[in-house]
Amino acid sequence: MSAVHGSQLYFNRRHERAPRIQPEVRRRLSTYVSSLSCVNHRLSSPASVCFMDFAVDLTGITKRFGAFTANDSINLTVRRGEIHAIIGENGAGKTTLMNILFGLLQPDAGSIAIGGKTMLIDSPAVAIAEGLGMVHQHFKLVPSLTVADNIFLGMEIRKNGLIDRAAQVERTRFLSEKFGLRVDPQERVAGLSVGIEQRIEILKVLARNARTIILDEPTAVLTPQESHDLFQTLRGFVDDGMTVIFISHHLEEVMAVSDTVTVLRDGRVVATKAKSALTKRELVRLMVGRDISFDRRPRTRNDGAVALNVTDLWARDDRWLPALKSVSLTVSSGEIVGIAGVAGNGQTELAEVLAGLRPASNGSVQLHGHDILDRTPAEIRNRGLAHVPGDRMVRGVDRDATLSANMLMGRQKKKPFARHGVIDWAAVHEAMRALIQRYDIRARGPKDPARSLSGGNIQKVVLAREFTAGGDVLLIDQPTRGVDIGAQEAIHDEIMRQRADGRAILLISTQLDELKALADRILVMFDGRIMGSVDGAEMDEDAIGLMMAGINPADMTEAT
Amino acid sequence: MEILSNLFNVALLVATIRTTTPILLVALGGSFTTKAGIFNIGLEGQMLIAAFFAVVGSIYTGSSLGGMVIGVFAALVFALIYAVLVVSFRANEVVVGLALNILAGGITVSLLKAIFGTRGSVVGRGIVGLPKVQIPGARDLLGPSTAQLISGYTPLVYVAFLAVPLLIIFYNRTRLGLYIRVVGEKPEAAEALGISIVWIRYAASLLCGLFAGLAGAHMSLGYITMFTENMSSGRGFMAVAILIFSGGDPLKVLAGCLLFGFADAFSLRLQTFGFPSYLVLAVPYAVALVALFALSWRARPKRIRETVETIRRALSVHRSGEADRDAPLPRS
Repeated sequence: MSAVHGSQLYFNRRHERAPRIQPEVRRRLSTYVSSLSCVNHRLSSPASVCFMDFAVDLTGITKRFGAFTANDSINLTVRRGEIHAIIGENGAGKTTLMNILFGLLQPDAGSIAIGGKTMLIDSPAVAIAEGLGMVHQHFKLVPSLTVADNIFLGMEIRKNGLIDRAAQVERTRFLSEKFGLRVDPQERVAGLSVGIEQRIEILKVLARNARTIILDEPTAVLTPQESHDLFQTLRGFVDDGMTVIFISHHLEEVMAVSDTVTVLRDGRVVATKAKSALTKRELVRLMVGRDISFDRRPRTRNDGAVALNVTDLWARDDRWLPALKSVSLTVSSGEIVGIAGVAGNGQTELAEVLAGLRPASNGSVQLHGHDILDRTPAEIRNRGLAHVPGDRMVRGVDRDATLSANMLMGRQKKKPFARHGVIDWAAVHEAMRALIQRYDIRARGPKDPARSLSGGNIQKVVLAREFTAGGDVLLIDQPTRGVDIGAQEAIHDEIMRQRADGRAILLISTQLDELKALADRILVMFDGRIMGSVDGAEMDEDAIGLMMAGINPADMTEAT
Repeated sequence: MEILSNLFNVALLVATIRTTTPILLVALGGSFTTKAGIFNIGLEGQMLIAAFFAVVGSIYTGSSLGGMVIGVFAALVFALIYAVLVVSFRANEVVVGLALNILAGGITVSLLKAIFGTRGSVVGRGIVGLPKVQIPGARDLLGPSTAQLISGYTPLVYVAFLAVPLLIIFYNRTRLGLYIRVVGEKPEAAEALGISIVWIRYAASLLCGLFAGLAGAHMSLGYITMFTENMSSGRGFMAVAILIFSGGDPLKVLAGCLLFGFADAFSLRLQTFGFPSYLVLAVPYAVALVALFALSWRARPKRIRETVETIRRALSVHRSGEADRDAPLPRS
């Protein structure tokens, strides 16, 4: 609390004035004498009105995992009928806090009040009974069941001992219409888009009569249009008197949709403010602790020759279905070409085919005029293509190997690391030490195992290896997925340096901000096809959004 | 031609239904565990132990029903041990399953020696077989040869085949059936909704034991009233194979079991025609292998697929992507 300045206080002040009771004692007390706690509050702070207008009120929540404190005496008050965003970097404690509120974790100290009533929430069932509903980041739907079955799973409507399908469908239709969340109750969930899956998750929560809805990173998997629809829905909920708690690390959407913002950093509340009193820049500073810019990087035009030329590329995914459909693109030296799209529209397969990790069914890929399709990954690398894989833990690093060994991968036969077929570890460590310095990798030394590093630093290890591999075409898949904002900035700087060095860069990202900051041209992928190209400098977000959803903006203008 | 008509007649169909029954029962039992997300390789042992105790029980109680109940009880004990180890203690399901299979083999052999003082098999000695159910009026309506298709089986034959539609209803329209599917398909969804994964898996294991027990009882008290060492002779494993490609879906299980049952019955027929018996005995397993290979071809592992794809591409000159263009859209 000491970190909170007067101006940032929103309605936490009463906790300051409240008599200092040992949190543990207080929690126990409040569990047994829940009705009394209301009186307790009133005595300590006569001005407040027993907090009946607070949907959720967390006081002094502390949660430790071993020596790590995930939540450090967090106070959070959510008024009824507002959209309250909780924003913070990875590891700031957002999800831990919500899991405590929802009864999935038990706090070491602190108390929870819902609707002004202090209570012990020791299981999600209790939370649900109190009108809380949680839409998890990873959807928990059963693919082989229908929409209605999923919504009523765990609270089936039954007749004569058998599940009454018709009644469930009927009720789903009613909820769907009432809240404007369009779904077909009888459709199977398998094969539905993530946007619809999320609608189903929200309907699930509504079917359980939730009045306060918690959404954990709800837009991570949505197209801009889907996000927009979601925000409208949330607005509708709030207008109906419901309360929404919205967890995010996405600045734009927090600014777009919330009424009040609570910023967490390192497990503490840094500020709770009305959205109107905040700017984006300020929000970043609160989250990261320093100023960071996400503006478009300044650049000079490079007119390089075409380095990577992909024509009519077809490939299948793991389920043997077409994943790439006639993809054609070129990347020139000194150019960053961005690939935008909702995850799972062929981007991963494209990267894998280019890197030689997946066979293509048809087409050609030329690197400086040499055909590299169907070559082994090693041959492709030797031709000059460096690949930063999308999932660093699977294809980027060996978690249990040292940083040196990870850096060595792919160049173990080359000088100076190998002499007469024997690895010169001293040289390897020396080179790794230089990379740690150069790329500002936060590690104790080259012999640290990769798993001891944070996600952002592991990503830097992968980037350092690939950028120094000598390739002049860089294939970078999701460079900052799951990386903190601070490290993101450093990674973006490095990519821009590579561009300035005249390298051809194909940048695959699901984050439009990232492409906006870096890319010279943006290609949008949908369902395995390139829907169209947008200039990076005058980025038209509406056009990109439409293409991400599979709609050609040209068709739209013709139609209207 | 005469040979063929002797081979393929009503008697062959009747024999198919008979031989299908035990494997259908045990595979339907395994469908519960498969649907609940447990790879239950211990079916063989549960079947074998039930077959033995069904014989012991029928001698002891003097009734086939008593034998069946005791056999099923023995299988349930095995299923419970399996569930405790696999579900509660999270032991490896293959290791536990194999261990229990070996244990079942060992126990039956030593108890055979201890109780009956013999080795190999026990016949007669007051074993009461299951009665045959004659459906009244079947003979008059359908004539003697067709009537034997639906009439004159032991009760467990009817139980096995009626269980198929009942299981479909169970999985689709009852709460327990739905929860078993959810626990197997998306355990985190079950957890989030407060469905106890442990209890659902216990229930599935015990239901599996019940059916495996019936299968065992049918083996030793059905058409032959005897117990021989290792008399399940791989049927439990065959059921596991059928479960893998059917995913526990009752109709697919039925199809797989009918195929195996037919091959089994067919091999028995061939034997009477003087084919070498050791070759004939391999027929059902060979058929099952071929069928499994054909069916799992679509779900073949990535490595094989990629190799095949590379070979295909190496052999063919550039093929245009036209074929792919009309393929169903994989994503939405």
